[in-house]
Formats: sequence, structure tokens, C-alpha cells
Amino acid sequence: MPRRIAIVEDDPVIRANYADVLKKHGYDVIQHANRPEALAAMRTRLPDLVLLDIGLGDEVDGGFALCRELRALSGTLPIIFLTARDSDFDTVSGLRMGADDYVTKNMSLPHLLARVSALFRRADLAQQPAPSEDLLTRGPLQLDLQRFTVSWNSREVELTLTEFWMVHALAKFPGHVKNREQLMGEVHIVVDDSTITSHIKRIRRKFVAVDAAFDCIDTVYGLGYRWRAAA
Amino acid sequence: MNMPPTQSVSTKKSSRLPRLPRLFGLHGQVVLVALVLLVIPWVGYTYVKAMEKLLRENQEQQVIAAARGIATALQDRPRLLELQGPSKKINEIKELQVTTPIPTAAEAEHTGELEPPKPLAPPAPPEPAPPATKVTDEIRVIVTGLARAGLRIWVIDTKLQLVATAGNLDNKQKYSGSAVSFGPLEKVVNIALEPLFKRMFPPPAHPEEEFIPNDVVFGGRELERALDGTPGLRRRAGPQGRNVILSAVHPVWVGDKVVGAVVVEENTDAIVSLGNRAFQQLAAVTLIAFAAAALVLLLFASRVSTRLRRLRDEAENAIDSQGRIQGLATAENANDEIGDLSRAFSTMLERLAQYNAHLEKLAQRLSHELRTPIAVVRSSLDNVKLHNMPQDVSVYVERAEGGLNRLETILTRMAEATRLEQAVRNEERTPFDAKAVLAGCVSGYGSNGGGAYPQCQFELTMTEQPVTLTGAPDLFAQMLDKLAANAADFATPGTPIAISLQREGNEAVLQFSNSGPPLPPEIADRLFDSMISVRKEASGENPHLGLGLYIVRLIAEFHGGRASARNLEGGGVMCEIRVPLDKAAL
Repeated sequence: MPRRIAIVEDDPVIRANYADVLKKHGYDVIQHANRPEALAAMRTRLPDLVLLDIGLGDEVDGGFALCRELRALSGTLPIIFLTARDSDFDTVSGLRMGADDYVTKNMSLPHLLARVSALFRRADLAQQPAPSEDLLTRGPLQLDLQRFTVSWNSREVELTLTEFWMVHALAKFPGHVKNREQLMGEVHIVVDDSTITSHIKRIRRKFVAVDAAFDCIDTVYGLGYRWRAAA
Repeated sequence: MNMPPTQSVSTKKSSRLPRLPRLFGLHGQVVLVALVLLVIPWVGYTYVKAMEKLLRENQEQQVIAAARGIATALQDRPRLLELQGPSKKINEIKELQVTTPIPTAAEAEHTGELEPPKPLAPPAPPEPAPPATKVTDEIRVIVTGLARAGLRIWVIDTKLQLVATAGNLDNKQKYSGSAVSFGPLEKVVNIALEPLFKRMFPPPAHPEEEFIPNDVVFGGRELERALDGTPGLRRRAGPQGRNVILSAVHPVWVGDKVVGAVVVEENTDAIVSLGNRAFQQLAAVTLIAFAAAALVLLLFASRVSTRLRRLRDEAENAIDSQGRIQGLATAENANDEIGDLSRAFSTMLERLAQYNAHLEKLAQRLSHELRTPIAVVRSSLDNVKLHNMPQDVSVYVERAEGGLNRLETILTRMAEATRLEQAVRNEERTPFDAKAVLAGCVSGYGSNGGGAYPQCQFELTMTEQPVTLTGAPDLFAQMLDKLAANAADFATPGTPIAISLQREGNEAVLQFSNSGPPLPPEIADRLFDSMISVRKEASGENPHLGLGLYIVRLIAEFHGGRASARNLEGGGVMCEIRVPLDKAAL
């Protein structure tokens, strides 16, 4: 049975373009132009994944509200914010609402598809109790490359897909400096330097939340970042 | 989006007017206006003159009346003059006349018909009259009874012989008392200006003439006319030539015949001194009023000009050297025109600030608004690529994607400054080692090890001392990146870029110097503003929006410092960042 993806987007052309690509890749696509309509439909039947715009018609922050309502309906439904807004404030707000990822609309469709399938994989494997074989272990850090989950000292660190890929890019070769362009390439986003900086900050904060002594991500000024092998 | 061409950048200097020394500032103007007060003494002078004239006319009437009264009194005693003794007296007078020179003043009045003038006998005090008949004695008694101080009465007979005189012109009695006084202040002014007043308003001279001058007796036509039966009045100059003596002549009739004449003389000293006094008072009062008014006006002008000057200074400082609108430091709340002006300025600046904020947000809004159509194009292209395309079509799709990528780069750069502005607002400040950050960054720039600018050579010199700053090392590194990019863009190929970090007092001084074209002078002080660029061409793979150095400024200011740029003497440009050192580390 094909997976159902709901697109909530007020611009009909963008909506149609996304829907076409997703359909071509074998997904069932439901399109909604505004929040009430989307919410009513999803109350009847939850899709498997939601692509959500923040500004929905007259509702400037309609996407945020809808995200909150969807989280109330389901704690595990994968939600990707797809928006023209790229301010730090919006990113943080979106992720705080419980979204799994936050991408800007300039992302190319193949990269978006990669995220969609990754999120599906994560959702699928989360239900399987058995640990997957594809693990990357760096001291207390463990990355599950199938489920896209991260743990530190066996405690789960909740990262978005973007953050997961960044940690993966850094931890794959500890001690090697990854510059900002490389990190952007790894996570398929085109952003400016300060956005990378704030991503790194958010990642650090999430690790520090589970271990106050965490300091494995080094900033190498002028070059980029590196994963410091824990002693 | 095009960046503003350098030519269109207006120079800041033209907006600031040179301050010329003002000949007619507010103070000068007020003093000029105060000159209007000079109309007061003029009006006063006219008034006093009119009063004096009135008084003089009044005095004349009095003198005439007195003469008529005495003549009438003598008329009642017809025999008094008829029974006048022989003309012995005339002879006496004539003899005296021979020895006395003729007074020059009298000559002008000479008519020729008269006998040579004779000096008169000393004004005979009533008692020691020369051998006189009872008649003259009687006249003298009458006349003396009528005379008073300042009033001289003499009686002549038809032969111009002096029959009797009484009184003298010397009036010691002064006007006093009733004049309005302006208190001690006036006294002070009077004392201060006494020498001036004495010269301008000389007091009437004393003593008065003691003798009746010959010319008065013989030179006056009035006397003759009176003896012909017509009363008359004459004004003649007093002995000092300044005061005026009024002499009224009235014939004494006996029946149809004139038997003599009565002359009543009074000088105008009283009026002159009254006038002088009035003038003095007027001068003093005017002076006091003028001084007081001028003082008040000057104080007022000072206050107004102080407020205006403050307003001007505030208006000048309302927009700082960076072109940022600060608003008026202290808004006037006075309920007058200057307050209105101040409020109008505030409103204007507020609107200007809003407009500037709108302009600053424009980049952000533009980038946001353009994202959606770009997303349309990109998703459409992505869809196209999913189809099998003939080779010649895919070339165009690739070109379209290339253009789209450039457009996105522009948008990203535009958003970068905005995002940084937000970041700077929320960023925490921590002490960090600037030398470590600088060394790390510079090692990533040069040709060694595949740096960001392999075509450039970077030469770093750093002070031996520690350089600890308060701020965000991430942002500091971002600022270094922008400075390096700027220097690398403008450096003459093959020349090194010199980077130096030194300590000067409480400041860290960071300098990026490169050889290359100098800065145009009109843009030098705006180089660190948003959307200002000196680059000639705006296209290419690497679009420039003039935001790099603006970001430098934002970060420098976040660290409590400032950014500047200047041309080097040997050619080239140096960007300098001065940031205060961390206080705890000092």
C-alpha cells in the first residue's frame, strides 16, 4: 500500500509541483490549501507524513498551529516544515512545535525526497524492537544509521534529520575538520554561515542537555568544526 | 538587485553647512530691537519742551499782568509822575555815561534815534535813594510792595528817567519737592551722570545781573512804544547769554497822557531749571528703563538662543556618523513655538527612522518574498528533470538552474545581514582569546593547505601580550572572514595581505591592509553601511551586495568596538577594527 503524504501549502503551483514529484515516486499525495481543511481531513484519517508550510493563506503562523494540533493527534507522525522563512526564530519555533525537520523551499526536490524516505525509515524502524546492525559508535556516542537516532551514554538525544546528518558527518571521521560547505553538502541544504553556526549550537545544546560535560564538537575558527574523540 | 552606484552616493559634507560667525545673531537682533526704546526719550524730550513752552507763556502772561497791575496802581496816583522832580537826574546819568564804555551787546539794538546809552545807576535799594522827592519815595514804596524775589520792577518817566526800582532777578528759591522721583536708583544714575548732566543742562547762572543794562533802558523799542501808549513784552538775553529775561512794559496813563512806564522783569531761570530737572530725570529714567529692558531682552534672547542652539545641536547629532537615526536627546516639552519645532523635529526623525527601518527590512522582505517564486521555478525544473529530455533541452534546464542558484546566493547574502542583526541582539558575550581565533582563521585563508583564498598571501603579526575580548568568538571569526574576503577582493594580485593584531591602551587594534585601488573619498565614511560597495561591476558568479563590511561593522559594534577604513600612503587600503579589551583580563 502506498504511503500517504499530506501537503499543506497555500501556493497552488508549488503544491502541485511537490505533489507531482512525490506521486512519481510512488506516494499517495493529499493536498490542502489551508489549516481548517487540512485539520478536518487529518482528523478523519492521519497521513503517514506531513509537509507543512508555515504561512497558510491569511494565517501567518497557521503551520505552527497545525503542527501543534497534529502532534496532539499523533506523537509519532513525521512532520517536515517546508517554508520560505529561514530566520533562526522560525526554525526554533518550528522545531519546538515538534516537527521532525525544518527545510526551506529552496531545497531541491531530490533532496526533499531523500528526507522524506529517511523519515519514513526512521518511523518504520522505531516500531521494531530489535536494534539495527548499521551503527556508528564513537565512545559514548552511538548513531543508528537506519533509524536516524542518536544516543549519548545510552541516553537518547533527539535530533532532527538535519542535525543527525551533521553529527554523522562530523563523527564519521573524528579529528577531521569539516568546513561549512561540506556540512551543507552532507545535509543537502544551502544556507549561510550563521545558519550552520546556529545548527551546531543547537546540536551542542541538545547533547549538553543529556550530559553537561559534553564538549566533543570543536569550533576551528576559520575552518569549520570537528568531532573530538572523547578521551 | 542592483547595488547603488558609487556616483549616486551623496557626500555627507554637503549637508552640513559651514558655521559662519554671525554678526546678527539673536542677541544682536534683540539689541537692535531694543533701540526702539530710544523713542521714549524723544517723546519725553518733546513733552518737556512743550511743557516748558507752556510754562514760559504762562510766565509771560503773569509778567504782563504784573506790569499792567502796577501801571494801574500808579495811574490811580496821577500826580506821582507828573510831580516828578527836575531832570537833574538825567544829567547825573549822562555824566556817568561818559565814563562808561558802551556795552557791545547793546550796539546791535541801537536804533540811532536814541541818545547814547547811559549806564544806569546801581539798582537803588529802596531806602538809600538819592535825593528824592516824596513822590518818588511813594512810588518806591508801592513798587517795593509789589516786588518779590526774582521779580524786578522799575518805573521810568517819559524822559526815560528811572524813577524807582525794586526787587532783583536773583531767585534763589528752587523748585523742589513735588517732582516725581524714581527712588534711589535714579539718584545713583544722577550721581553717576552728574558731569554729563552739568555739561548738557547747565544750571542757571548766579548771581543775576545786578544792574539794569543801558541797552535795556535805551535800546528797547518796547520802552518807546510804551511811552507812546502801547504795552509790550520783550525777551532779552541774560548776562550769561543763556537764560532769558522777560520784560513786560506797560504805560502809565494819566488821563490821555502817558506819564511813564512800568517795566516788570523776570528771568526764566525757574523754568530752565525745571526743564533741566525734567530732562535729567528723563535721561535717568530712560537710561534705567533702557538698561532694564535691554537686560530683560538679552536674558530672553539668551534663553531662546540657548534653546535653539540646543535644538540645533541635537538635530545635528540626531543622525550619527554611521547614518543611524538617534532621535533627539531631550525633547522639548515647552508649549511654545520652539517646543513645537522640537516636536516637529522629533516627529520627522521618527518618520525617518521608520523609513530607514523599512529600508533595512526591505532586504529581508525581498528575500522572503522572492523565495516563493524561486521555489516555484526550482520545483518546476526538478519536475522537468524527472522526464527524459532531449540533450539540447537539458542544456537550457541546466542554465536555468545556474541562474537560479545565483539568485539564491544573492538572497542568502541579503538574508545573512538581517540574520546577523538578529543574532547580534541575542548573542551572549563571553571572554575569548582573540589571538587564537585570528590565528585559526588566518591559517584557513592562505594558500597553505587549500585555504579559502589560495591566490592570496596572508602575513599575520600579533602582539606577544594576550588579547582577550568580550563577545562571541563565532561572530568574531565571521567578521575576520568578511575582512579577509574584502582584502582578498581588492588586493593587487601577487601582493600580500597584512593582518596585524596589537594592543593599544585598553584596546585591541586589528588591521587588514592590502595594496590596491584607494577608496573613493566620498564613500570612505560610509563604507561600513549597509548596501554600500565600491566594486565597479556587480555581476559574476559572486554577486556583491555591499553587505560584507556592514556585517563587519555589526560584529565590531557587538564587541563594543568600531570599524574604519582609510587609504594607505603607499597605495592600498587598511580596514581597522578597534575593540576594547576584556576588563577582567586587564
